[in-house]
Amino acid sequence: MKRSLKQFRYETAESLHIALFQIRANKIRSFLTALGVIIGIVAITMMGTAINGIDRGFDKSLAMLGYDVIYVQKSSWSTMGQWWRYRNRADLKTSYTEAINRTIEDNPNSNLLVAVPQMSTYQASVQYRDLTIEQAFALGTSYRYPQTASGDLSSGRFFTPTESAAGTMVAVIGDDIATGLFGEREAVGNIIKMKNSRFRVIGVFRKQGKFLGLFSFDNQVIMPLGAFEKTFGKKGFVTLRVKIRDQKQVDDAKAELLGIMRRIRRLPPQKEADFSINEQKAFKSQLDPIKNGIAAAGIFITGMSLFVGAIGIMNITFVSVKERTREIGLRKALGARRNTILMQFLIESVMICLIGGLIGLVTSFLMTWAIATALPDFPVQFSPALVFASLVVSVATGIISGLAPAVNASRLDPADSLRYE
Amino acid sequence: METSPVITMRDLKRHYSMGEETVKALDGVDLEFLKNDYAAIMGPSGSGKSTLMNIIGCLDTPTSGTYILNGQNVAEMDDDELARVRNREIGFVFQTFNLLPRINCLRNVELPLIYAGVNPREREERATEALNRVGLGDRITHKPTELSGGQIQRVAIARALINNPSIILADEPTGNLDTATSQDIMEIFSDLSKAGNTIILITHEEDIALYTRRIIRLRDGRIESDKKQ
Ligand SMILES: Nc1ncnc2c1ncn2[C@@H]1O[C@H](COP(=O)(O)OP(=O)(O)O)[C@@H](O)[C@H]1O
Ligand SMILES: [Mg+2]
Repeated sequence: MKRSLKQFRYETAESLHIALFQIRANKIRSFLTALGVIIGIVAITMMGTAINGIDRGFDKSLAMLGYDVIYVQKSSWSTMGQWWRYRNRADLKTSYTEAINRTIEDNPNSNLLVAVPQMSTYQASVQYRDLTIEQAFALGTSYRYPQTASGDLSSGRFFTPTESAAGTMVAVIGDDIATGLFGEREAVGNIIKMKNSRFRVIGVFRKQGKFLGLFSFDNQVIMPLGAFEKTFGKKGFVTLRVKIRDQKQVDDAKAELLGIMRRIRRLPPQKEADFSINEQKAFKSQLDPIKNGIAAAGIFITGMSLFVGAIGIMNITFVSVKERTREIGLRKALGARRNTILMQFLIESVMICLIGGLIGLVTSFLMTWAIATALPDFPVQFSPALVFASLVVSVATGIISGLAPAVNASRLDPADSLRYE
Repeated sequence: METSPVITMRDLKRHYSMGEETVKALDGVDLEFLKNDYAAIMGPSGSGKSTLMNIIGCLDTPTSGTYILNGQNVAEMDDDELARVRNREIGFVFQTFNLLPRINCLRNVELPLIYAGVNPREREERATEALNRVGLGDRITHKPTELSGGQIQRVAIARALINNPSIILADEPTGNLDTATSQDIMEIFSDLSKAGNTIILITHEEDIALYTRRIIRLRDGRIESDKKQ
């Protein structure tokens, strides 16, 4: 037993030696052979990197929405685009938040913490002296808004309960608005104009970036609800922002909120809800098909190139076995067993695939790096799991493609092989 | 003192079926080889010399008959057992393609020891010693392409010796060599025989056969004569 283990070790060492030798002696052929694997591995890693990157970018965006906030709105996020389904629903009222908050206070076991009103419009323009920013996002809310939103202030403060209740004409602005209107200068204390109202800037948000690359939080002008209504009327789009106690119990929280809202809207039990409760998970389910699409395309490309690569390797290994028939005969004459020869050729094809895999990894690492350098906003992410998966796939390709020729070689008759010309 | 034979063959046959007809390469061979035999197998081309050699060397198995090597019935062995016997009991020298062309002499000579599971240090020691024995101690790092035909055969003999086999088998070892070199090689075989090795070689040259002590003549797969000299 001990002897055969040693034998195995020495034979494997010999096989590694032969394999390296063979690959070095046939560099171009080995490279061409490995090309399929290289392309396959680049495809795997680039796909994985893209998916990783999308996930990361997405998570970053979702974090902006807050994992522990759910939103009551007229329409549902998960059926976006089907606005006609919600057209006939009655508008939501910002005053619902007062009713919700009273219910929360009466129930010590509530899964909900606080409801904050929000009325908004995309069509606001902001002016400072002769500078104008079109298409700002104006948002009227209460002083408790920061409890339900991410993002710190880089200067100034949020509005107080008193200002909130009085509808004082003050505004907290996003970073893009601040730099757009004031550049490097301090924004806080200046007066900006929206429609015909004048607002004093009391705070500026730190830069947050775009949500899913679409909607910018840095484009907001947040003001007390009363101030919003005075400026834009009561026709803005209403959202009820509800902070929940525990993001793990989001389903319970939604159910509770659903009950409260139905009571507020006085819906009889058999009637369908005429509002939607949204959470960030809805976006995730919208993104999944895209991710799956990328994954499917990637797996297809990977599969194709690995398949072509495997056939190439099988072919080359068959040729190699043919060319080395006499060597196989000689080795058998000197005492090599079937398994010894089998291992020798398997190790050779696995080695070619592993080298191909490593070249593929380095290539995609460089590509990822180049993309990340050229487009810093583009989400790319190279993970250790991908490296591991690539190596496993390389080895598997080597074994699969090398097996048939290796078995073939191991079964060669020694007397015939030695006579082979 | 009569020693028991190293090799015993009884009614040994090796038939090749080539479609319709069968080629009777060996057609009933009875042979014994004793320890320290030094024999030449002769015969015209196609008489079955190589076939016999392959069977003795366990590269091939007989169609029928018995072949006992050192008390083991070889006809009943599977592939791996045959590989083991080739590794431990037999040392081969071929006419051509004796060495792997791209590795040096030392690595060529130590190949049987790799398959025997001998550790690298001992392998190198024994290979060096075997190369010294055939007078090539100064060529161990040379590759076969840098050697003459005679030197290549000497390396092959060193490799055949390295695992202390029961028999050294040589199939026309001088077939590709000029007369002077052939004589050198035969001197080595004769020395090995004097040192107690059992040697069987195939040749079709009478003057090569004269180096040995026994000449076996084959014709059409049968033994025509078997004479001590
Ligand atoms: N693998 C084989 N298949 C078919 N016929 C073979 C094979 N090997 C040898 N023979 C035949 O067997 C006979 C003996 O061959 P061989 O032993 O090589 O003769 P020698 O070595 O004496 O020249 C020849 O007729 C040869 O054609
Ligand atoms: Mg012959």
